Amino acid sequence: MARNVPDDGKPSRNERIDAAEASGETGGLIETSVTTEDSDEHSTPGRTIIESRGVDVFYDDVQALRGVDMEIPENRVTAMIGPSGCGKSTFLRTINRMNDLVDSARVEGELRFGGTNVYDEGVDPVALRRRIGMVFQSPNPFPKSIYDNAAYGLKVQDKTDDIDDRVERALRDAALWDEVQDRLDESGLELSGGQQQRLCIARAIAVDPDVLLMDEPASALDPVATSKVEDLIADLAEEYTVVIVTHNMQQAARISDKTAVFLTGGELVEFGDTNEIFENPEHDRVEDYITGKFG
Amino acid sequence: MAGGTAEPAEPPESAGMTGTEEVSRLRGTLFEAVTLGATVFGLLMVGVLLLYVVNDAVRPLSADPGWHLVFFLTLVVPSLSVAAYCYTREGPAGEVAYATFGLPVVGLLVGAGIVVVFLEVVSVADWFGLALALVAAAGAIELHRRLRPYAALERLAVLIVAPLVAIFGVPALSVDRTLATPLTGTELFTLSFSTPKLLPGVPELFTSLPVLPLDWLLLVVSLTLPVAFAFGRIVSRRREDDRGRLETVAAAGAVALVGALVAPTVGIDAAHWVVLATTTLLPLGVYLEGVVRERAGLAGLWFPVVVVAGTLVGALVVETVGFAGPDPWLDWGFLTSATSRSPADAGIYPALVGSILMLVVIVVSAFPVGVGAAIYLEEYAPNSGPLGTFVTLVEINIGNLAGVPSVVYGLLGLAIFVRTFDLGNGTVIVGGFTVGLLILPIVIISAQEAIRAVPDSLRQASYGMGATQWQTIRNVVLPRALPGTLTGTILALGRAIGETAPLLMIGAAASVRTPPNGFFSRFSAMPRQIYSWSSEIQPEFRYGVLAAGVVTLLVVLLMMNGTAILIRNKYQRES
Repeated sequence: MARNVPDDGKPSRNERIDAAEASGETGGLIETSVTTEDSDEHSTPGRTIIESRGVDVFYDDVQALRGVDMEIPENRVTAMIGPSGCGKSTFLRTINRMNDLVDSARVEGELRFGGTNVYDEGVDPVALRRRIGMVFQSPNPFPKSIYDNAAYGLKVQDKTDDIDDRVERALRDAALWDEVQDRLDESGLELSGGQQQRLCIARAIAVDPDVLLMDEPASALDPVATSKVEDLIADLAEEYTVVIVTHNMQQAARISDKTAVFLTGGELVEFGDTNEIFENPEHDRVEDYITGKFG
Repeated sequence: MAGGTAEPAEPPESAGMTGTEEVSRLRGTLFEAVTLGATVFGLLMVGVLLLYVVNDAVRPLSADPGWHLVFFLTLVVPSLSVAAYCYTREGPAGEVAYATFGLPVVGLLVGAGIVVVFLEVVSVADWFGLALALVAAAGAIELHRRLRPYAALERLAVLIVAPLVAIFGVPALSVDRTLATPLTGTELFTLSFSTPKLLPGVPELFTSLPVLPLDWLLLVVSLTLPVAFAFGRIVSRRREDDRGRLETVAAAGAVALVGALVAPTVGIDAAHWVVLATTTLLPLGVYLEGVVRERAGLAGLWFPVVVVAGTLVGALVVETVGFAGPDPWLDWGFLTSATSRSPADAGIYPALVGSILMLVVIVVSAFPVGVGAAIYLEEYAPNSGPLGTFVTLVEINIGNLAGVPSVVYGLLGLAIFVRTFDLGNGTVIVGGFTVGLLILPIVIISAQEAIRAVPDSLRQASYGMGATQWQTIRNVVLPRALPGTLTGTILALGRAIGETAPLLMIGAAASVRTPPNGFFSRFSAMPRQIYSWSSEIQPEFRYGVLAAGVVTLLVVLLMMNGTAILIRNKYQRES
């Protein structure tokens, strides 16, 4: 069974979720007033930004996802949990078309991002990935300097105006600036595992994407580093829509507003508010899973 | 052995564990002994051969015993003891001793190579013009990048056109063609015009100047200062300030200038001094600055001092007492003169230059093609479908090509480059292309392996950032795969420089008196020269001169392999 919620002075899960709900109901104004500095972004927290309708994914003849329907709300943390091989990572990679890189993968159904089906013929997967950032399971910084890592996305996307400021802001947002500001020239590989993962998050948010996909971002980290990354995710949700895949149910409970439970066979069994899922799941199998009877 | 009886050598302590049986290790021990034997046998054979060759080439026994004794006492004993002290007592001192001795040696060899190029292939003024042209082209590309940062396709065109225009200018165009109908042969019209040369290239402009600066001055500007600028980065980084770079450039410039003024008075060409100082003193100075700054392993500095002092003292003693030194085949005269009828005057210089020029052609032709093919096969080629099967077939056959005998490649080169393209019988470029074809499969395979070793997570990270495939390959895959590719290529070049059979087939000269003065002139390479010495009638050729040639070839080879190892180690430490 996974470890207990650390007693580190953070509000307990229920309090946090209540708070999140409260801000969700009244927070339209509050949050937009916070984010008005990004004047070109008209984000409305809670509005559906990604909508999945009957998404099937096949690897050759093996079906990895079966008819997934889901609405992912803007500026919220949506968690996807489930046992290994249940298709939650596949779904994540379907959103930004990373599955295109796998020759045998085939996607059916509709996946709408801001109203457009991302699998329409006219959609350029590279352009799509520039709006949907991704953080991977194990930290994978480039063998370049810390600065070059954070600036990578800006350089490949030709966003090179005031690049130094953008890099600094990304590293600050990823809660890494204080630790690395004197050593930006050093290799990103010299950082600790947790720092590397925060560098990868900084790299992803430096280009200001609309959505941040995270594929078990804390699974390769120790508990201290994990809690730092979790705090970071909570902060990121103020500016970004975060979709996170996790193995760790406590983690999903701590940080997410919405939770999707995938069970074996690539089926989305239940999707709803996190506290609903954890306190009063509709399906027995989901209850068995989150109480640790299997998985 | 098959009985597997308990081994008596098992230590008795382990038998103290009650109720455990002893496990036989007899077969394992035997196997270990056999593998050790195989290793030792191989090394011993090569060692004996090398000993014979070196003995023939250097002939140490032709010296007086007194000569050996003097140098043993003044040079070998002191330097060995200093080296032993450095390695055993002080960790970093050993490395310092090794580097301060090795850097000047390697620097001198590289410098000598560059001097040879300036003597035989390209004049200093031409080189300077070329350098100016490349700087101009780089400036044009950078200007385009600033002015139109998003025009990627246009920049590709600029990238290709700018260097060409800078080097060659816009050449005169003349067209004289008659267009006829294919069947009846009726003449339709004749297109005939010619334009004057529109724009001369930068090198041409430069060399046509009425007064050219002195050669050595050109070299200081085009060689010493840029190299010092690059090395200065190391100094700056080590000292964590920006002045280090400036100071390095200033110091290097000053040393080159003062030396160039002094050198002619002692009989050294000023331009040669500038080259040698750049390749030898500059790296040494940068290294010494670091050693002195960190004060680590200062004792190692004694090693080169002891070696130089020992050599001088030994030479002095031998001179005064009158001991005769050895009379080696491999000496300065061998390296700097052409082959001759008399064994005593024979040298390898033209073949050495020929080999180096051929190597240049090989690198320029085989490296880009090989790396390009590897990138396509690993990154772009489909893995599945009918095209995927075809790609798999291609990959398998590249592996087979690596095993095709070199004489077959010689035949191929003869048919394609000599007969079909008419590039000349036994010219440098034909030799280079032919041997380049020969090592192409090795380059492709090593580059493929290096690219395959780039972790997929890095590619995914790059794609996840919204990078295109080209950006991913350029920024992530290639930098990471470069050291492995370079190592493989240098090892392949080591094979290339020793190839004889293809050179025989394409008609490389058995022996030439003058080194090739360009890529289209006839040449001989070291292995070809060695081969022709092996069939001379006079035994001195077959035993002495040939051995000296083999040692020269092996030293060049060892240096190349050493470079490959250095590159590998450097990048292994970094990643």
